[in-house]
Amino acid sequence: MITNKKYLVGVFDNEHTLVDAFEKALAQGVVIEEVYTPYPIHEILTGMKNKTNITTAAFFYGLFAVIMLIGGMYYAAVVDWPLHFGGKPFNTFPSFIVVTIVATILTITLLTLFTFSVRSKIYPGKKAEIIDIRATDDKFIILLDQDKMGINKPEVTRLFQTNGASEVYEKETATN
Amino acid sequence: MYKTDVRGKLIDGEKSLSQISQEILAPIDAKTPKWWYIAMGISLAMFAWGAQSLYVTLTQGIGTWGQNSTVAWGWEIINFVWWIGIGHAGTAFSIFLLILRQKWRTAINRAAEAMTVVAVFCAALFPLMHMGRPWLFFYIFPYPNTRGPLWVNFNSPLFWDFMAISAYLLISASFWYFGMVPDFATIRDTTKSKIKKAVYGFFAFGWVGSSREWLRYEGLAFVLGGIAAVLVVSVHSIVSTDFAVSVEPGWHTTLFPPYFVVGAIFSGFAMVLTLVTLMKKLYNMGDFITENHVDAVCRILVFVSLIMGTAYITEIFIAWYSGSEYEMYTFFKNRITGEYAMQFWGMFIFNALLPQLFWSRKVRRNLWVVFVISLFINLGMWFERFNIVVTSLSKNYLPASWAEYHPTWVEIGFFVGTLGMFSAGVLLFFRYIPQIAIAEVKMISKYNTQQTDHLKPGHHDYE
Repeated sequence: MITNKKYLVGVFDNEHTLVDAFEKALAQGVVIEEVYTPYPIHEILTGMKNKTNITTAAFFYGLFAVIMLIGGMYYAAVVDWPLHFGGKPFNTFPSFIVVTIVATILTITLLTLFTFSVRSKIYPGKKAEIIDIRATDDKFIILLDQDKMGINKPEVTRLFQTNGASEVYEKETATN
Repeated sequence: MYKTDVRGKLIDGEKSLSQISQEILAPIDAKTPKWWYIAMGISLAMFAWGAQSLYVTLTQGIGTWGQNSTVAWGWEIINFVWWIGIGHAGTAFSIFLLILRQKWRTAINRAAEAMTVVAVFCAALFPLMHMGRPWLFFYIFPYPNTRGPLWVNFNSPLFWDFMAISAYLLISASFWYFGMVPDFATIRDTTKSKIKKAVYGFFAFGWVGSSREWLRYEGLAFVLGGIAAVLVVSVHSIVSTDFAVSVEPGWHTTLFPPYFVVGAIFSGFAMVLTLVTLMKKLYNMGDFITENHVDAVCRILVFVSLIMGTAYITEIFIAWYSGSEYEMYTFFKNRITGEYAMQFWGMFIFNALLPQLFWSRKVRRNLWVVFVISLFINLGMWFERFNIVVTSLSKNYLPASWAEYHPTWVEIGFFVGTLGMFSAGVLLFFRYIPQIAIAEVKMISKYNTQQTDHLKPGHHDYE
């Protein structure tokens, strides 16, 4: 079912006013839907309280890769087709290390990128859900869902404007 | 407290965020300049010669090259190592300087990474063709097969090399691409052309700059940055192991891995210098790549050049100190003097002596001189690889098998072809991709003051 969602958009011209307004809004108990910025801002990322486990995932990808690689090389060199090289042992472990390191890095990179793509829902050809087109250029956007922002409209508009918002406007989008 | 002007400003001129986008994107929005077509034409002509040489190699075999049973590795390995070395700057710039929190890297890392991807492509062609029957190259993949006991040899540095280069190519390409996603979104949202909106929109992956995206993006950069740092060291030390594990005079030394890694960073940074000089002059990127940026790269080159000089002298000293007559012969009769002396002295002068001019501030601030020196360093690094590969092989233990090596036109064409491929790739990069990481430059624009407070404890410094 398609419903129309009503949003309130606060537009800021620079990082300082954005962070200022963002922190004051949080202090007043405003529920912030999302913040759009041209570059990552530390205060926003921590203030939004979203968590990412991408680094933990990367660690486990690495662990998985190491086990598979060493296991695979052991299987090839010792179990499947042992070869005699002048009386050297079949399991030439220390020389497996180089391939293990390099291929582990490759595995981590590819799987982490894939995870990033899936979790952030970013993939080739995706149609961007743009709230304010200037957010990738020079504006900093705070988005509030009017149904659950935890404060009334005039109050939050005043809060934004007194803290340096250059514009505050309403926006309706159709969502499923 | 003692204060110095550590670095100048990161961006010249007081620029708004929107100006930063506009100025960096100007080459993409502007009409293609005439010189670009001419340069592209020359590059493609060079590439065509390379393609012809490849055709000859493929149809007639590597007997068309100048190699013989004594000097079995000629220009192909020289060029392979040379290109891989150039390809090192991308990771060194993005990762090492990221770890060292050098904010000036943001203006240059995109170009360095682009160069890396193209250079590694060029490099990969050489060992591929050197296999003789390149259509069977998949034999080097370790997979269960029906060809008898043909698991690859996991103990062979040549196999390690294959793994390292493939991983390096894939990792640098993806690191480069994901760095560009936010910038593609900026193009999508600022351009007036419908075609550009659609094309860059496709490549922008639906990026909108939300805090959720940035959070994971930062996490991704952290992971890739952390693990890819190992690659800077591993790739070229593995390349050097190809040489160091073989019992050839002049190759069989423990010095090789650090010597190769430092050499790679040296040639990579020199090529970056060549590129940024062009970007400054041809595309007016001077406000973002300021004199201070060029200055910083030059200072690194002076330092690395000293390490190179030390490595050269160490090799010679150890040859003498070891008392091995083969080592002595290789270094004193077949490198410093002898028929390949020109290549040795070319290497020594261009890599160890010429960059010492960068001690002078006047030289570092003169863009033309910097440009010329950067080209000479690249030439010197090519000589270094020639010096290592050919002199050691041509005259080793058995005088009966001594032979000289001269490249044939097919080999020269092959090399010129990769040069054409590289310059064509770089020209495409200049024309269609933001040359400077827009989002990153915007991020550092708030620090855009003369950095004089580097000794002040606890100043706000996150990336």
